[in-house]
Amino acid sequence: MRLTHLKSRVFGSGGMIFAAVAPVLTILVAFPLLFVVLQAIFPDIARGIFANPFSRFVETLFDKHLIAWTLNTLMLGGSVVLVSSLVAVPLGILRGLFRVPFAGLWDVVFLVPFTIPPYIAALGWIMALQPRGYLEQITGLNFGGFLFSFWGVVFVMTLNVFPVVYFAVSRMVSSIGGRYLEAARVAGCPPMRSFWRITLPLTTPAIAASLLLVFAMSIEEFGTPAALAARSGFLVLVTGIEQRLSDYPIDLPGASLLSVILVLIAMAAFVLQHRIVSRRDFQTVSGKPGANRAAELGVWRIPVVMFFAIIGFLGAVMPILSVVLTASTRTISGGLTADNFSTENFAEIFANSGGAMEALGTSLSLGLGAAVITGILGTMTAYVVVRQRTVSSRILDFLTLMPNTIPGVVVAVGLILAWNQPWLPVTPYNTIGVLVLAYCCLLLPYPVRYANAALRQVSVSLEDAARVAGAGGIKVFFRILMPLIFPSILAAMLLVFAVAARELVATILLAPIGTKTVALFIWRQFEQGSVGMGMAMSVMAIAITMTIPVAVAIWARKQGRLF
Amino acid sequence: MKSLKTVLLAGFACLALSGNAMAQSVTVYTAGPGGLIEKLAAGFKDETGIDVNVFQATTGKVMARLEAESANPVADVVISASWKTATSFAKKDMLLDYTSANAKTVPDFLKGPGYVAQGISALAIAWNPKSGTPKPADWSDLTKAEYKDLITMPDPAQSGSAYELVAALTAQPDLGWKLFEGLAANKMIVPGANAQALNPVLQGAKAVVFGAVDYIGLSQAAKGESIEVIFPKSGTVIAPRPMMILKTSSHQDEAKKFIDYVLSDAGQAMVAKTQLMPARSDVKADRPLIADLKILEVDPKTDRKAVLDRFAKTFGME
Repeated sequence: MRLTHLKSRVFGSGGMIFAAVAPVLTILVAFPLLFVVLQAIFPDIARGIFANPFSRFVETLFDKHLIAWTLNTLMLGGSVVLVSSLVAVPLGILRGLFRVPFAGLWDVVFLVPFTIPPYIAALGWIMALQPRGYLEQITGLNFGGFLFSFWGVVFVMTLNVFPVVYFAVSRMVSSIGGRYLEAARVAGCPPMRSFWRITLPLTTPAIAASLLLVFAMSIEEFGTPAALAARSGFLVLVTGIEQRLSDYPIDLPGASLLSVILVLIAMAAFVLQHRIVSRRDFQTVSGKPGANRAAELGVWRIPVVMFFAIIGFLGAVMPILSVVLTASTRTISGGLTADNFSTENFAEIFANSGGAMEALGTSLSLGLGAAVITGILGTMTAYVVVRQRTVSSRILDFLTLMPNTIPGVVVAVGLILAWNQPWLPVTPYNTIGVLVLAYCCLLLPYPVRYANAALRQVSVSLEDAARVAGAGGIKVFFRILMPLIFPSILAAMLLVFAVAARELVATILLAPIGTKTVALFIWRQFEQGSVGMGMAMSVMAIAITMTIPVAVAIWARKQGRLF
Repeated sequence: MKSLKTVLLAGFACLALSGNAMAQSVTVYTAGPGGLIEKLAAGFKDETGIDVNVFQATTGKVMARLEAESANPVADVVISASWKTATSFAKKDMLLDYTSANAKTVPDFLKGPGYVAQGISALAIAWNPKSGTPKPADWSDLTKAEYKDLITMPDPAQSGSAYELVAALTAQPDLGWKLFEGLAANKMIVPGANAQALNPVLQGAKAVVFGAVDYIGLSQAAKGESIEVIFPKSGTVIAPRPMMILKTSSHQDEAKKFIDYVLSDAGQAMVAKTQLMPARSDVKADRPLIADLKILEVDPKTDRKAVLDRFAKTFGME
């Protein structure tokens, strides 16, 4: 009797949060995406005309490349998911279960790939590995053949996105706690078996959720496949979208329609993920004291550190090294010769420190703003989705994945179409507010997926107990749930911060007149042919962006927990 | 949580109001080259006291923003890197018919009702002298064995001027698709837009760009990069960059003054400094000008999609 009463109160509070979250998500995500769909159907929607619906479908959908591009997109997404899981799941589990030497350092290092804009990373890899690239200039070897191939794209993209999986898995594993493994050990279960039978299955929500993010990111990414594999004829759906938006005549309806196909592919992945995580119950955090002791690695110390070091070197050090070399040479054609090294590019950035500092300030504030807003909103959404298993909460759940599957440039078009309507009484368009909207819309998926996976572990009985003790809904949320899921949410917020501080694709289309961000500053340098100066600015932006995660890591260490 | 929404909305309202409070100003949407628009804006402000609000991106992104904004247009002046933009905007009756007094010495083929060139670029061969290959003199030289595996080209599907080059060259009766088949046999790569085609040549992975945008190569050379811009003797295509005032502009007087300024001696000198050819024939520049080049025409009736499809097929990009 009392239990049902409690249940209804729990769902009641979920309902309250639903009522608060749904309108915000409608404005933030559904409103612009609705316009993407409308644009796909009505070619003249930009002029407010609903004429000739579906008139562009035949031309776009019967494009003879469409099937090949779709298959390539699936193959790329699938391969990046596969390789990311092979790399990041072991890393995450090791980090969560064991006392890995330099653990805090690895967390910071694995965040670095997220602060490097993908187009800079791709260019960095090209300049390092192509024939007569930096590696050949130093060692005489080049890996151009590998880099400019399908697996080269998978390699570079995996290194850009694997941290999403690493952070989700490591936070989840460490919060499962040692209690279950202890019980297994007492029952005579050998460690390997208890790993396969207990740890790995209980980590499934985190693995599935983060791989879904990886899949969504890789089917939407344009820069890397275009820079590396377009030359060998490997084209994906986003290539088609970009072609429709790259020169006159542009084709907004066609680009929107291809984006809808990307959303449909993502929807299939979403359903698959949902099947996996809702098959069983993952509630492991139930309030019983669990000795959360990280195990010792013993003889495996050195190999494990090597594994972390190699991935850290490839993911963070190599691209940055290439970027630094480009920034500190006078000309690209001059190569790595003594008289070509110069601090000119950095000096010019300092000389233009007004513009550069303004851009850095704007980008860092936008990153912080987006991280805070998506962190709060994402947690609330995930709470509704996990606790209130209704159709409407499922829709909400998918809604918060969609922006991640649509190329940023198309989301930006949707935002313009939506927010530049003449009938709107007020609009954030052409103010910095539209960038906040864009980043929140594009990056909300991270906190939602992370919080979702973390919440699945927290037993409802904890909340019930708090309520019996007389705590109200808000108090339960902040005093019981938040402390338990905060490490996951904080990690997601750091990812959001890193991406928002360097976002280019949507920014370039949406930036209010006169606004400077880091990514725009770098892009303009490239546009003027100053690759070296663009790279110098990238180095500084990455260094400054990283101070915040480093500060958080140090703070978390003092608190004695994972960030 | 309602309060959060209220705060957000209130914030947006303030921002929206502050954004609208722009007095004497003109809003310019422009494709590159970066730097030029900033200098023009500063010079214009000095001379007239009018602020220039700049949105700068690639031609495609400028067009995408214009198109998406068409229910409620924001731009006054548009500068594109593609001449086609101007002719088709004129056809759709989107342009304010204005002829600047400063446009007198702009040749007739570089202006029309409502549009006029800001400057002109041409496509060329960009060759790295340190590549150990002989200096090419014409497009067809690049089908020789010395250049095998060493050529890049901007993608005609992503760069309007590269498309025009393909359309013009394949329409030559003596050349046709033979030239491009030869380049395909020489393993020419098509790595992306203009910048992606130039980068491998600078670092030495490749030796030569087929159809590089001339001013980019010239300014790289001026910065000390090992790159030489060669105008092929059989001719090339040019890409005039049209400026136009939109009919929907609510700052038409300021917009007209801006066009006048870009075509003034001072404005055209800034254009020449970026290594573009100035639109006015009486303005000098430190580079070959239109009169020095053999210019190939593109038949406006060319089927763009057919050309792009055949190109993609030739280079295995399907």
